[in-house]
Amino acid sequence: MTLHPTVLALPVALPLIFGALGMLFQSARPPRRVRVQQAFTGIGLGANLVLALVLLIYALNGGRLAYQMGLWPAPFGISVYLDALTAIMLAMVGLLSVVIFPFALATIDAERARAGFFPMMLFLLMGANGAFITGDLFNLYVFYEVLLMSSFVMLTLGGTPSQINGGIRYVVLNLMGSMMLLLAAGITYGTLGTLNMAHIAVRMGQAPYLVQAVIAGLLLIAFGAKAATFPLFFWLPSSYHTPHPVVTAIFSGVLTKVGMYSMFRTFPLFFPWLLNDWQPMLMTVAGLTMVIGVLGAFAQPTIRRLLSFHIISQIGYMVMGLAVAMTPSAFGVGFGLALAILFLMHNQLVKTALLLGGGAVELEMGTGKLNELGGLVKQMPVQATLFLVAAFSLAGFPPTSGFIGKLGLLEVTFSAGQWVIAAVSIVVSLLTTMSMIRLWQYVFWGKPHRAQPLQHGRTPHQATLMTTAPVAILVALSLLIGVAAQPALDMVQVAANQAIDRAGYVQVVNPELTATDLKSLQTPPATSAVQTGADSGG
Amino acid sequence: MTAFMLALLVGVLFGCGAYLIMLRGQIKLVLGLGLITHAVNLALFGTGPLTRGAPPIVPEEGATAAMASQFADPLPQALILTAIVISFGVTAFIVVLIYRRDALTGSDLAPGELATVINTADPFAGFDPRATLPEAADDYDILQYELDEVYNRPEAEVVYE
Repeated sequence: MTLHPTVLALPVALPLIFGALGMLFQSARPPRRVRVQQAFTGIGLGANLVLALVLLIYALNGGRLAYQMGLWPAPFGISVYLDALTAIMLAMVGLLSVVIFPFALATIDAERARAGFFPMMLFLLMGANGAFITGDLFNLYVFYEVLLMSSFVMLTLGGTPSQINGGIRYVVLNLMGSMMLLLAAGITYGTLGTLNMAHIAVRMGQAPYLVQAVIAGLLLIAFGAKAATFPLFFWLPSSYHTPHPVVTAIFSGVLTKVGMYSMFRTFPLFFPWLLNDWQPMLMTVAGLTMVIGVLGAFAQPTIRRLLSFHIISQIGYMVMGLAVAMTPSAFGVGFGLALAILFLMHNQLVKTALLLGGGAVELEMGTGKLNELGGLVKQMPVQATLFLVAAFSLAGFPPTSGFIGKLGLLEVTFSAGQWVIAAVSIVVSLLTTMSMIRLWQYVFWGKPHRAQPLQHGRTPHQATLMTTAPVAILVALSLLIGVAAQPALDMVQVAANQAIDRAGYVQVVNPELTATDLKSLQTPPATSAVQTGADSGG
Repeated sequence: MTAFMLALLVGVLFGCGAYLIMLRGQIKLVLGLGLITHAVNLALFGTGPLTRGAPPIVPEEGATAAMASQFADPLPQALILTAIVISFGVTAFIVVLIYRRDALTGSDLAPGELATVINTADPFAGFDPRATLPEAADDYDILQYELDEVYNRPEAEVVYE
């Protein structure tokens, strides 16, 4: 299969076109125009998913594409780049938005729909897609802002005081993160004289260590703030429980994961050696993110507050995988990154399923407070079962995707000799199990707390096919990854190998470089000494 | 010297911005964010060579590659322009949010700030926070009041069996 590189403009162009068409029908008048917006959003999301799947098939067959926007040659114009890692992320986000769409159709109220919820879904998707495919550091900043502006609007749609409070914290802390990214881009241009990622990768090796450290540190802060890692996660639990449940589900599947993707993309490409040099710091960040996230979850009184702390906790596992990505182990260099990518996919599926399931309960009962819920297993047996499976997947029970992800991460950290973080992650898994059981028990088990479930004057949302099917699809996909683990592992292995192949990236984006430039980019092969020691442990 | 002055200015702006953000009060928050975005924009400006009086306008005849290094670099300015537009949009959004919060709650305080205001007897708080509390409220009552405020539950405490 051959694709013309121009196709790489489409992941940004499609959502933009359909979103803009939807905005033309923006009006205070209900409800026919909202129907048109919904139709445009549905078509846009569907087209985007088809495109993403085509790109995924192309990329998994080893294809890599780069396109120079406006045909300006590589270091001067903006490059966009597609490999398996990009394609997996495009497909996952496309899939999630399509799956969430029926839930949004069923539950978004007329007021939010009139305020433009549905076109905003497309703009959010556009920002995420752009951040995935871009090959230019400043362009990455711009797409982050596109993503964030749509998320600001979605977060505060509805305008209750708690939403505004959460919104202000979210906007301020994310703006600070964006400023760090902008500063990193500026310093990169000032010291290396380029913003093209391939060109940065070529020149970074010759830069003084101080320059590398400053750029890497700023990028770590910027992406860490987006991904909600340890010292920078405060915006997440103070804002994620405030908007409509659909919005929380979209955010958990897209926003923090874009931050993680950017780390996966830039660190192995720009400075793979720093992943080893800074391993103790990354491990500390990963461990503290896991522990504080899961401990915070224990103290939370509502479904979504609890789940948003679990988002933070799970981010720690991905940072752990990234930290061992360039360490030689029994599985070869890059296997840690592959597992981190697999864990990211798993987390997108399961977390969105949990938040949709919890959101359905919250919408039906009119409250998400644990001590006011209970005994819902009789009222919503299907949802209760799906929620339980998703919860066990999050905790890492076989045969779900969480088991594969956590087992793999444990094996790779053990064989890289990182015993402490492996122990921490096991303890955190145990605490996650306890916390999820506690959540399920409070919501679904026991005696019903109230005969009349509704309060706050909200309209009842009956649990229907539209709200149950998305959760069922996501849970089924999680089980599928758990059962058919080898194809999934092969997929992420391809992605990780391409992500750490710096010479390959540079050659695709910027084919005019000389052989000496490319030789400096070769990643060192795994040493054989570690291999023999770790094989017996597996 | 120019570069040093610029670096100093960026540092001072960043420091002032960070200080203002950490103060209580929403207008200070907006001003602090403005200062920080200015600081970052100036830092971007400093990444190009600070060439004076050499605009990057190439003469029609006799242009050589060697001339490129003598001009001022136009790229940082293009980056700054983009960044200014984006930060302007975000700042406008924050101003609207703050105005909205003021209209909804009638106070300049975020949940969690009340205890600090009461305990430090802030003369600029603009209202008497004790008026919303029962007589002889101690620190625990204030904290409980704020938690209830956060969870929108005025009367009951959160108890798990």
